Amino acid sequence: MVKYILKRLFRSVVTILLVVCIVFFLMRLMPTDYFFTEDELMKFTDQQKYAKLERLGVMSICPDCHGSGKLDSGEACQTCMAHSTTSVGTGYVDRSIFSQLGDFFYNLFEMRVYNAKGKEIKTIDPVNLWKYLGDTKVFEGKLKDGYQVKLAFNLGKSIRLEKGQYVTDVIANKMGVSMSIGLVSLIISLILGVVLGVLQARYKDGIFDHIGTGYTVLVNAVPHLVIYTIIMIGGAAIFSLPMRYDATAAEPWKTMVLPIVCLSIGSTAGYMLWTRRYMVDELNKDYIRLAKLKGLSDRKVMFRHVLKNAFVPLAQYLPYSILLTVGGSLLVERFFAVPGMGPELTNAISRYDLNLVQGIVLLYATMGIFGVFLGDLLMTIIDPRIKLTGKEGVR
Amino acid sequence: MKKLLSLALALVMLAGLAAVPAGAEELKELNTYETQARELETWNIHYSQAAADLNVLCNLIDGLLTNDNHGNLKLNAAKSYESPDGGKTWIFTINEGMTWFDKEGEVMADVKASDWATGLEWVLNYAKNDSYNVSMPAEMIVGANDYYEYTKNLTETEGAEAAKALDTSNEEFAKVGITVDDAAGTITYSLVDSLPYFPSVATYNCLYPLSADMIDEIGVDGYRDITWEDMWYSGAYTISYYEYQNQKVFTKSPNYWNDANCKRFDKVTVKMVESVATGYQLFKEGQLDHISLDQATLQDIYNGTADAEYKPNLVEARPTKYSYQMHLVYAKNLDDGVTPDVNWNTAVANENFRKSLYYGLDLTNYFARTNSINPLSCQNFCYTGNGVSFLSDGTDYTQLVRNELGLQYDSEKYARLNAEAAAEYKAKAMEELTAKGVTFPVQVEYYISGASTVAAETAKVLENIFRDCLGDDYVQLVTKTYTNLANEVRKPRKASFFINGWGADFADPINFLGQETYNDPQAYYSNNYSICNENDDPDLIAAYQEFTDLVVAAKAITDDMDARYAAFAKAEACMLNHALVIPCSYEVSWELTKVNNYSKVYSMYGMQAYRYVDWETSTEPYTTEQMAALAAAYAAE
Repeated sequence: MVKYILKRLFRSVVTILLVVCIVFFLMRLMPTDYFFTEDELMKFTDQQKYAKLERLGVMSICPDCHGSGKLDSGEACQTCMAHSTTSVGTGYVDRSIFSQLGDFFYNLFEMRVYNAKGKEIKTIDPVNLWKYLGDTKVFEGKLKDGYQVKLAFNLGKSIRLEKGQYVTDVIANKMGVSMSIGLVSLIISLILGVVLGVLQARYKDGIFDHIGTGYTVLVNAVPHLVIYTIIMIGGAAIFSLPMRYDATAAEPWKTMVLPIVCLSIGSTAGYMLWTRRYMVDELNKDYIRLAKLKGLSDRKVMFRHVLKNAFVPLAQYLPYSILLTVGGSLLVERFFAVPGMGPELTNAISRYDLNLVQGIVLLYATMGIFGVFLGDLLMTIIDPRIKLTGKEGVR
Repeated sequence: MKKLLSLALALVMLAGLAAVPAGAEELKELNTYETQARELETWNIHYSQAAADLNVLCNLIDGLLTNDNHGNLKLNAAKSYESPDGGKTWIFTINEGMTWFDKEGEVMADVKASDWATGLEWVLNYAKNDSYNVSMPAEMIVGANDYYEYTKNLTETEGAEAAKALDTSNEEFAKVGITVDDAAGTITYSLVDSLPYFPSVATYNCLYPLSADMIDEIGVDGYRDITWEDMWYSGAYTISYYEYQNQKVFTKSPNYWNDANCKRFDKVTVKMVESVATGYQLFKEGQLDHISLDQATLQDIYNGTADAEYKPNLVEARPTKYSYQMHLVYAKNLDDGVTPDVNWNTAVANENFRKSLYYGLDLTNYFARTNSINPLSCQNFCYTGNGVSFLSDGTDYTQLVRNELGLQYDSEKYARLNAEAAAEYKAKAMEELTAKGVTFPVQVEYYISGASTVAAETAKVLENIFRDCLGDDYVQLVTKTYTNLANEVRKPRKASFFINGWGADFADPINFLGQETYNDPQAYYSNNYSICNENDDPDLIAAYQEFTDLVVAAKAITDDMDARYAAFAKAEACMLNHALVIPCSYEVSWELTKVNNYSKVYSMYGMQAYRYVDWETSTEPYTTEQMAALAAAYAAE
């Protein structure tokens, strides 16, 4: 088992690296025009465009002419003539995509020094850390009081959406908001969905089952925005609940109620549907008939056998669902102005905020892959018959 | 007679006072909104050119001058200003006791006259500010353009770091026409010419201060990408909370130098809403203090089909500063973005063709997309916006233009529409253009954002207007969509026309007309939209040249502002009589509000309109009658 876990962990890390590399390459295959705003695109000279691309790490200053476009001899620099429309070079050369990728991974290990007030005072390359500390008064045998050196896990700074903010900070802020709403919603919908699904299966074809099926169909058939609008207006009118998220409100939890309700509506229906379906499947199996023949009460059959077995496939997705709450919900978060992760990826892609896209993809890939991995492990715990290793019964 | 007038004036003012809702108090905290599409992009005031940024930043840093609620210049950081030589040199003296502070209000440094030099150096430095906001100071201030070119050259020859290392102490900057005296608190600008309107430029961000101490602390790159948490403030408010796409909270600056002389809210919260429809729900719940209404909601309230209780509170907003124009493209390409669209380019170069559009398009239904109750409030006959410049007797400059055109606004009908004249121009155009090989109907390609259903509906209205007014045997409007305007449409020149709104940066018609001149590298619309310089039709060139000559002549008049405006009015009328550009509309929407619109800073130029200072408010929404009374009192002031 340990060997299997280590193997899966290794495979997960490789998959994440692959996903990150593919996204990294894809983003850089796009025309560089997308790095600029409409205004910049129309207004910037080539030189200004190159300078901006250099700041973003896509180009670098020509090593031969050091940015002047001319050699010391006065001749045009041939190294940076590639994009030049004049008789001298541009002063900038394209950076190899592999070199950019190397920087991306290298910068993950950048260190940051914070002073006693928690203010960042310096970022340092990992290789220069000891040299820097030795050169300054930050470190005299030990770190000065209150000073801290932290691994930055630097994914760069946001270049458009939240200009100048570290991507890790942007993600960390938004992740917390999405998770708090997402987790509460997940707990509510899981409890409600499973309980109602069990009741539906228990009273199959009864009035309760029909109502439950009607609810599931309705939630899936009606456009979500319509449901959200009704909930928003109804929640505000009947329960005086705030219509948008506001962390600065006197009672911030109240502003989270409507987004949580909206998130829960859909996922409750999902859990109901699948719980009912798995339980009905189990109810038709021979061992249940045998259990009933042996005189076990309906209650015992339902909860000790049917639910336990029906819950196994649901449990597989539980860690995945928990981890993916960090991703938020695009629609709900946009609708209630929740400053979470939901709209962030689409916003970042549409505004070509390269570093942010990269950071979010890294996060989602990690959460997704580890979610599936943990789901598999959870399944084996709930149902020991399932083996992840060996030749028979292997999933 | 005088007594009668005084009595009438007093009555109107009393009516204005009585218009404040009975028993209503003023708001201590303001809750306002922006749609999520209009989120701030940068906290760097020198870099920004976007209204979404400047509407925020004008509250955080004080410029030399601001505007009052009538659009007049008002002292701000400057306690006085004068020109000893009729407009070529301008001396501003700043107030004592102004400070820079951080977001917590902790004082960081004194505001000094030299901060204005640091700000100007930043703007003019090619490597620091990427040429943003450089055109006005470069054109107006002695040596400014040379310094900009010097930093550009330095960047190109020695790299950006060399230019970024420059500060105000370098020899080249010493040649720029700005001298500062920190002890006396004076900033002296030397201009290339006598520019009587220069003080209005002092309201704009290109002449805003920047603390050298802050640059020392955070570095050039640090300021370029500054955030609200690190920036230094000197204005009426600091930002105490900001969450992207959620909200910004402005808090009254504790160390504000002008606290005693201005009225501020304790807190202003700008909530980002997904749409104005969502905003309306927030208004109904009391979570917003004003809301601009979309047309569906407006119609519902107006017709009493929903929320009829708000009908007495419907208020027509004041026009925004943008004057919308239909910019015809004179060097359009076909769909491949390379091959010239000869059919369109030949047609649009023909004056009769353009005039048939100018006189023939009844835009009333188009206006109704913005203002369905009173669409003609949106009509616009001039290129320059209303309220930008005034003659010595107080007459609006655009009145001169309308006099030249022989066109006056009529609240009953769209006065520019002249179906007979349009039919004549159409017949002539068809005859002349057929001879030149143009095939009819001429395809007119109009591009809209593919993501906007509102734009799609508006485009459908325009299609109908073109068909109904000019006939589909003549022109056919085809709507196409884009995801990226610059890349997909502007650069490959695929549109036949654009509808753009221009808001002035300073109070002179040159800021409008200078964007349309022929063969002028500074003319924004000529170079980026109409591309008139690349159409070789001699009649078109002659028309543009005539207009450009008139603009140049008007610009040269600096000693007599009335004569200057009269000359500009002739130039503008020339442009419009040749239908080189077709004036389109103003934005005049309807709203529900607890804010007296006539107390707010109202300027048809610059960036001061969103300063949350000296606003009169009410805890209850104003009624239509109350706002009308306030408007009457305002007009009588």
